[in-house]
Amino acid sequence: MADDAFARRKFLVGAGLAGTAIAAGVAGPVEAQQPAPAAPAVAAPAPQAPEPFITLTAPEAAFIVAVVDTLIPPDELSPSGSDCGVAVFIDRQLGSAWGGGAKMYRAGPFLKGKPEQGYQLPLAPREYFASGIAATNTWTRKAYGGKDFDRLAAADRIAALKAMEDGKAEFENFDARAFFAQLLSITMAGFFADPIYGGNRDMIAWKLIGFPGLPATYADKVDDYRDRRYAAEPQSIADFS
Amino acid sequence: MATRLKEIDAVVIGMGFSGAILARELTKAGLNVVGLERGADRNPAEEFTLTRLRDELRYVVRLELMQDNSTDTITFRNGSDESALPIRRFGAFLPGEGVGGTGIHWGALHWRFLPTDFRIKSALTEK
Repeated sequence: MADDAFARRKFLVGAGLAGTAIAAGVAGPVEAQQPAPAAPAVAAPAPQAPEPFITLTAPEAAFIVAVVDTLIPPDELSPSGSDCGVAVFIDRQLGSAWGGGAKMYRAGPFLKGKPEQGYQLPLAPREYFASGIAATNTWTRKAYGGKDFDRLAAADRIAALKAMEDGKAEFENFDARAFFAQLLSITMAGFFADPIYGGNRDMIAWKLIGFPGLPATYADKVDDYRDRRYAAEPQSIADFS
Repeated sequence: MATRLKEIDAVVIGMGFSGAILARELTKAGLNVVGLERGADRNPAEEFTLTRLRDELRYVVRLELMQDNSTDTITFRNGSDESALPIRRFGAFLPGEGVGGTGIHWGALHWRFLPTDFRIKSALTEK
């Protein structure tokens, strides 16, 4: 994992193409979902305006956008992480009950445990990300000539995230490696979770990997698809609500 | 002030798999049984049907059906040379809450028995 933060994505490419190539037929779902630039029909909605952040501060939002766009760059597979809604997803999650520490044991003692003893900080996720973002920017300002993470050139962002992932970034009083793991985890959650949570816009991630989404009963399709691969456009919770 | 409730033959604390079977056996034997369970009052028609049933973020990732660690948790350590620390959010094992207990989030996975599983009585006897 340490070798290349993007190996996962390359794997995703292979898996996604394998899935969609068969699923696609003539008009592949991957191509089909690319933003259509031309000829809006009469009733077509205007191009999606960027959704406002309601939890993150402006500097925090800039950081999160920079991180998700580094982990998920725009390429032939998908738009950037933020264009897929991942930053909005993170904003909403941190503003949720979970982000505020619901269902989390938050009393002491607060001791440094072994990794297998799990998370042992008093911070709820919202506070944890605020602290992590501040710690990262403090470190990049020192290591990259006074610049916050989101101001770094693309190559430096990748190098900074790799240094965090490898445990080589020296933060003051904060575990850089653990923070990277949390950033990666919530980015993946945003990319792959149901679009009702703000990420995975247009079910792009599900189309990439050939995941059908909500439907979970296939007994009625057994006869239709005998000896053929089952392929279908994914469906979100919103499609059934 | 304490409320004195009507006397009952048996109270089963925890209405998961074990408690429910126990309560069933006791009622079959003719006893009046009260089952106690903690957690939200869930409506199966709402919670355990599509579309919510497939909400992976809510249930699989955020553990909606699991015990609330904010009010109760356990501590653990892996050896006597360590300090036991609280589990702040469940992860490795997932105790449920609500009527049905683990039964409401049980994934119906049965692992194949290992050779040692067939020697439990022998191993205990040897011990």
